[in-house]
Amino acid sequence: MRPAPARSEIAVVDLQVCDRCGLCLPLCPPEAIHLRLADLVVDRGDCTGCRKCIAPCPVGALTMVAA
Amino acid sequence: MHRPLPRRRTDDGRGVTRDTDVLVIGAGPAGAVAAWEAKRAAPELDVVLLERDAAVGTPVRCAEGVGDAGLREFADPDGAPWVARKITQIVFVAPDDTEVKVAGRAVAWILDRTRFDSFLAERAVALGAELLVSTEAAGMTCEPDGRWRVRLRGATGEDTCRARVVIGADGVEAMVGRWAGLDTRVPARDMESCAQYVLAGIDFDPDSIYLQFSDRIAPGGYAWVFPKGPGVANVGLGLVALKTDGRNARQYLDDWVARRYPAGSKTGCTVGGVIVHTTIKQTYADGVLIAGDAAHMINPLSGGGIVNAMKAGRLAGHVAADAVRAGDTSASRLSTYHARWMELLGDDHLKYYRIKRALESLDDDFFNGLARSANAIPLERRTLGRIFAHALVRHPQVIPVAARFFI
Repeated sequence: MRPAPARSEIAVVDLQVCDRCGLCLPLCPPEAIHLRLADLVVDRGDCTGCRKCIAPCPVGALTMVAA
Repeated sequence: MHRPLPRRRTDDGRGVTRDTDVLVIGAGPAGAVAAWEAKRAAPELDVVLLERDAAVGTPVRCAEGVGDAGLREFADPDGAPWVARKITQIVFVAPDDTEVKVAGRAVAWILDRTRFDSFLAERAVALGAELLVSTEAAGMTCEPDGRWRVRLRGATGEDTCRARVVIGADGVEAMVGRWAGLDTRVPARDMESCAQYVLAGIDFDPDSIYLQFSDRIAPGGYAWVFPKGPGVANVGLGLVALKTDGRNARQYLDDWVARRYPAGSKTGCTVGGVIVHTTIKQTYADGVLIAGDAAHMINPLSGGGIVNAMKAGRLAGHVAADAVRAGDTSASRLSTYHARWMELLGDDHLKYYRIKRALESLDDDFFNGLARSANAIPLERRTLGRIFAHALVRHPQVIPVAARFFI
C-alpha cells in the first residue's frame, strides 16, 4: 500500500460520455489513468487531484469528486 | 483479417504461449511500417503486429491529411482506393473569415484512414508479419535474459508473448513506453484537444484545404476543413485547453460549425488528442523502441503525424531487425534509432516547437492584419516565404517570432 496523496478531490470518468481517445493518459503526472478494452479508469489511490486532465477532455467526460 | 491468438506452446513451463523476435504493439502507420520493414530487413525473423481494435484503421481519430512527397516514400497515391481526395490549394482563413490563398503547386492528399491503415497492415502481412486483431497489450516485464514478457488480452482471455524487441506504436496513450520506464507524459499546454465531424452537404472548394486561426474559434490551435469529396469534408479543430473559456473542444466545434456550416449534416464525430511537443527525451530502452505519436513525433507546428510515424516505423523496423540478428538488443545498440530519428526530423521539431511557442503570443488582430497585407501580394507570387517577409515589414511585432525562428 502506498500512502494516499494529500487531496480533497479526485478525478472520475463518466463512461457514458468518454470516447476512449486516450488523450488524458499522458497528461496525468502520477500516471494514474489507464485505458483498457472497454473502460478508462482513474486509479483512486494514485490520483493527486491536480485537475490537469479535466479541461483537456474533448467531450468533458472527466470531473472532480470528493476524495 | 481476424484471427484467434495462436497457441504455440514453448517449454518454459511458465505459461508463455509464444515467442517472437519482434512484437509491434499498435497497427497504425508507425506499427504497420515497422512490422513490414523489420520483415523486409530480416525475412527470417518472427514479427507479430498487435491491434487492440477488431479491425485495423478503426475508429478513425485523424483529420486524414498528408503531404505528397512524404507519402510517396511509402505508397503511390495515384488512383489508390485509400485516397479520398487530392488537394492542390491551401487556404488560410483569418479570424475575420478573410481567405488567403497560397500560391504554389503544393499537393496533399486526404486519406481514407480505415482503408489506408488496412492497406499498410496488409502489406506487412504479405511480407510475412503476423497480425493479431482484437488483442491488446496489458503489461510487460523484462526477463533475466533481456527478453520482454508481454501480457496479451483478447476476447477469449489472456495470453503471454515473449519478444526480443518490443516496438511501441500505441499512439497517444503510449503505455509501452511507460512500462519500459520511459517518460511519455506531456505538459497540458502541449496537448491539443481535438474534435471533428464529417460534414456532408456543405459548400467549399473540394480541391482546397482550409485552415482558420483564431483565439475565439480554436485557441492555441486551428480549425480545419479537409475535403473528402464534393460537399463532404472532415471539419474539425484542435485547441489548447489552458487557453479556452471553459468549453471543451466539441463545444467549440459545435459553435464554429453552427456559424460556418449551419446546413451541414453531421455524419460522424471523432475526438482525440494531438501532442504538439518535441520527441520524448529517450525513445529506446533495453529491447524497446517507441515510434510515432507514442514518442511525440508529431510536427508541433502543423499537428501532422502520419508520415512522421511511417518514417519512424521504418527506422524502428530496421534497427530492431539488425539488433535481433546481431544478438544484441541492449539500449546502447538500439540508441542508434533515436540518433537517426533526431537527425531525420526530431531536430527540426525542436525548431518548429520554438516557432509554435512564439506564435502563441500573436492575437486575432495580428492575423486579420496579416491576411489583408498578404492578399495585397498578387496570387501568383503569394508564397509562404513572401507572406512571412511581408509580415516582417508590415507587422513589426512579428520580428521576435522571426528572431526565434533563426535561433
